[in-house]
Amino acid sequence: MTAPILQVEDLHVWFGLADGGELHAVQGVGLSLEPGERLGLVGESGCGKTTTALAIMGLLPPSASVAGRVMVDGEDILAGGEAAIRPHRWVDIAIVFQGAMNALNPVRTIGEQIVESLELHDRARGTVARARTAELLEAVGIPAGRAARYPHELSGGMRQRAAIAMALSCNPRVLIADEPTTALDVMVQAQILELLDALCRDFGLALVLVTHDLPVVAQLCDRCAVMYAGEIVERAPLDLLYHSPGHPYSRMLFAASPDLAGLDEPVLSIPGAPPRLDRPIEGCPFRPRCDSAFAACVERPSLQEVAADHAAACHLNDRVPA
Amino acid sequence: MRGIDYVLKRIGFAVVTIFVAVTINFVLFRLAPGSAVTNLSRVPHATQQLRHALEVQFGLDKSKGAQYLIYLKQLAHGNLGISFENQQPVSTNLRVALINTLPMVTLGTLFSILIGTLTGVIAAWRRGTPTEALTVSSALGFYAMPTQWLGLMLIIVFAGVLPTGGMTNEFLLNPGFWQHLRDLASHIFLPSLTLGLTLYGEYTLIVRSAMLETLGEDYVLTARAKGLKPWTIVRKHALRNAMLPITTLVALSLGYIVAGAILIEIVFSWPGIGRAVYEAVLERDYPMLQGAFLLLTIAVVLCNLIADLLYFKLDPRITE
Amino acid sequence: MTNIAPLIEAPAEPASTRRGFLLRTLRNRPAAVVGAVILVVVVLVAVLAPWIAPYGLHTQTGTVFGHPSWKHPFGLDDGGIDMVTLLMWGARVSLVVGFAATFVSMAIGGAIGVVAGYFGGWVDTLLMRITDYFLVVPDVPLMIVVAAIWGPSLFHIIIVIGILLWTSTARVIRAQVKSVRERVYVKRTRALGAGHTRIVLRHVLPQVAPLLIANTVLTIAVAIFDETALSFLGLGDPSTTSLGKVIENAFQRAAISSGAWWAIVWPGVLVTLIILGCSLLGGALEDALNPRLRVAHLSARTFRLRPLVGRGDEAV
Repeated sequence: MTAPILQVEDLHVWFGLADGGELHAVQGVGLSLEPGERLGLVGESGCGKTTTALAIMGLLPPSASVAGRVMVDGEDILAGGEAAIRPHRWVDIAIVFQGAMNALNPVRTIGEQIVESLELHDRARGTVARARTAELLEAVGIPAGRAARYPHELSGGMRQRAAIAMALSCNPRVLIADEPTTALDVMVQAQILELLDALCRDFGLALVLVTHDLPVVAQLCDRCAVMYAGEIVERAPLDLLYHSPGHPYSRMLFAASPDLAGLDEPVLSIPGAPPRLDRPIEGCPFRPRCDSAFAACVERPSLQEVAADHAAACHLNDRVPA
Repeated sequence: MRGIDYVLKRIGFAVVTIFVAVTINFVLFRLAPGSAVTNLSRVPHATQQLRHALEVQFGLDKSKGAQYLIYLKQLAHGNLGISFENQQPVSTNLRVALINTLPMVTLGTLFSILIGTLTGVIAAWRRGTPTEALTVSSALGFYAMPTQWLGLMLIIVFAGVLPTGGMTNEFLLNPGFWQHLRDLASHIFLPSLTLGLTLYGEYTLIVRSAMLETLGEDYVLTARAKGLKPWTIVRKHALRNAMLPITTLVALSLGYIVAGAILIEIVFSWPGIGRAVYEAVLERDYPMLQGAFLLLTIAVVLCNLIADLLYFKLDPRITE
Repeated sequence: MTNIAPLIEAPAEPASTRRGFLLRTLRNRPAAVVGAVILVVVVLVAVLAPWIAPYGLHTQTGTVFGHPSWKHPFGLDDGGIDMVTLLMWGARVSLVVGFAATFVSMAIGGAIGVVAGYFGGWVDTLLMRITDYFLVVPDVPLMIVVAAIWGPSLFHIIIVIGILLWTSTARVIRAQVKSVRERVYVKRTRALGAGHTRIVLRHVLPQVAPLLIANTVLTIAVAIFDETALSFLGLGDPSTTSLGKVIENAFQRAAISSGAWWAIVWPGVLVTLIILGCSLLGGALEDALNPRLRVAHLSARTFRLRPLVGRGDEAV
């Protein structure tokens, strides 16, 4: 087993609230990513997956407090604060956001913005940078001539491709994609996913795919981590997760996805809502919505090994004392 | 050329607005009660020939409708009538006054835009700190002060150090070039400063607001993710985008500049357009008043047009 | 997108609920409290002026430009009248003009905004064109011209100011009305056959009211500023004494060269305070209605680091 490029240990994120309280958005998340590996980070909105992604790159707002370790090649980049993280941004880890209108600066052309990353990290300058930009655009399926266009002149799918091209410009080893296809229509979604698949393969990128959309993860990723209420409740290779989920939430998530639930099964939605994160949670956070809750669930479960490379935070997996 | 129809539309709008202003001008002055107003030829101490000439020129014996058309024609020729006060053509008086006002107003406005932008950016940058509170409080404080009162306060403070009235020192006979310049500078300082202080507060708030808005945009997060340094992001991304609402709002404050100029010129006895308006009011010099009002309105409309076109140039998203 | 703002902003009560909206704003924003306190104090003093003013408004109690003393903390003006008294009565007049002119402009602006926003179409376009023209024409010169022609009187001043301030109100209200009109319950009521008047009165206006209030307070600030300017130009009502007029009188009588700074400083401070109070309160109300749900992605401060918690899991 090769050394992981990215390792996250015991990550906590708190946000200060206007009334003085705190929102515990990420509660002890741990991840590990090896070179070329593809990890899906799945959960409902508000579960903390985006915050986790941002925290890895140190992109949190001033109202946030962070604890934990984020190790890139064994070096804890979080410990040194903003100054320690910045050198790693884009050259080691790059991120692609949801392709909303304003993820790219609307008053500058996409070519200029890609050149900016090249020049910033000393990959190329001037004419060379422009040539490299053209190459990158072609690699993501955008005709090089479009470099002189402004973001609003491109379709949603094109914008997303441009963002991907920009993310790859400094040859990072890890690409984080935060809801990369959510704002796009179905046909374009498929194209972007194919693109990501091809690029990760060709460039040997490790991928962290953050999304609420299970079928997307199923298509692209090898392993998957399921997040709920700020913590990881299950982590497993994708087929294990589907066939023998170790957590009721994962099971219900699959049941709620029409593509994956199987044609004969009725599509279930999960009733209720996630717990508030501005107060401490008593017992298992999923208990109010769980269909298999029982007596032990008044105590908060921790992530335990269920099988090889498969961990889940659920009392149903507790070993019965012999 | 991109958006040529947008440009034409804005120019068209400006033309129509000027036309509307001209019409309002006519209506206000000709249809107001009292023959002293309606009668442009009743120039005090004028000769009979002059009166008659004016009557013919402005068709004062004809119907209101015909008068309106004649008025437009005269305007096109730059004839605004004769001032009641000094029997000079109104256009000449206004031209001199305008030349005096422009440097003072330009200096003051530049000062306010620069300081306002600087403090606005600082306030947004240091959100939630005492620096922001201090910056915003001073901005609000100066914004709330009546312009004429601020001018008077400055006079009280600087009395004896700087001249407090007029544009030049009349007792300085045959000054050399540098002497003259220094004299002008010392006279222009307080009025410009007053205008600058009166205006900057609003700009601080506008810039701060625009910057806060911009700093919350997704592309700022992208820029940060790319590894750009914070100040670089502010300079190259945020500020550039914030320029858009700033331009619009600066344009909307032009009326405020005009008002400020009038009050300041009275306080400092500055012989410009503002004081011309004031004296025209005092003397009931209606041709001057009418001419000055028209000039000011046209100036504001033109500045608004420039701001519109500038905005258009800055924002590539406008194409229609 | 990566909008983590909903995570951070604790679920907010919709600002459009009128009840308690004012109180909530006051509770959450110190600026609003400062503004409100200033205004309440000034209004109280102005209302009670006839009873609490230490001297008569037209009573000469000392020399021209008498110095401040224990009996006259703010000195005397050019007519030997006590400044404190003048300030109280002056505030009265200034506030009356400010409120009245604002009322006029709110009535016009509100009506136009509601009609334009509610009916849309050519009515909207026409009204907005008119508003645009009014916006561009510089207001103070126009006020000067109209006041000069019409003659100075309190009534004229109020109308003149009112007629020029309605434009910003109209725009703001129109935008709000448009968004309210698109709401489902309005469409349903319409489908049920309710008449326009009923919809406007019972559904649109209540939603628009808080914004109208915020705008009103801000307009009062401008109205008082304008009145001060007009008084300074000699266009104020000669029979009443607003704070602007007090400053004007002092200026005309060469207060500064006489060294009587108190005749100018104190009235100006009071006007500034009133305008400041309105700006703070109105601004806070307006802010409360447009909650900035955005998180600043960039700021001088950065996120804070905390020591390891050790409760979570290790990476596997």
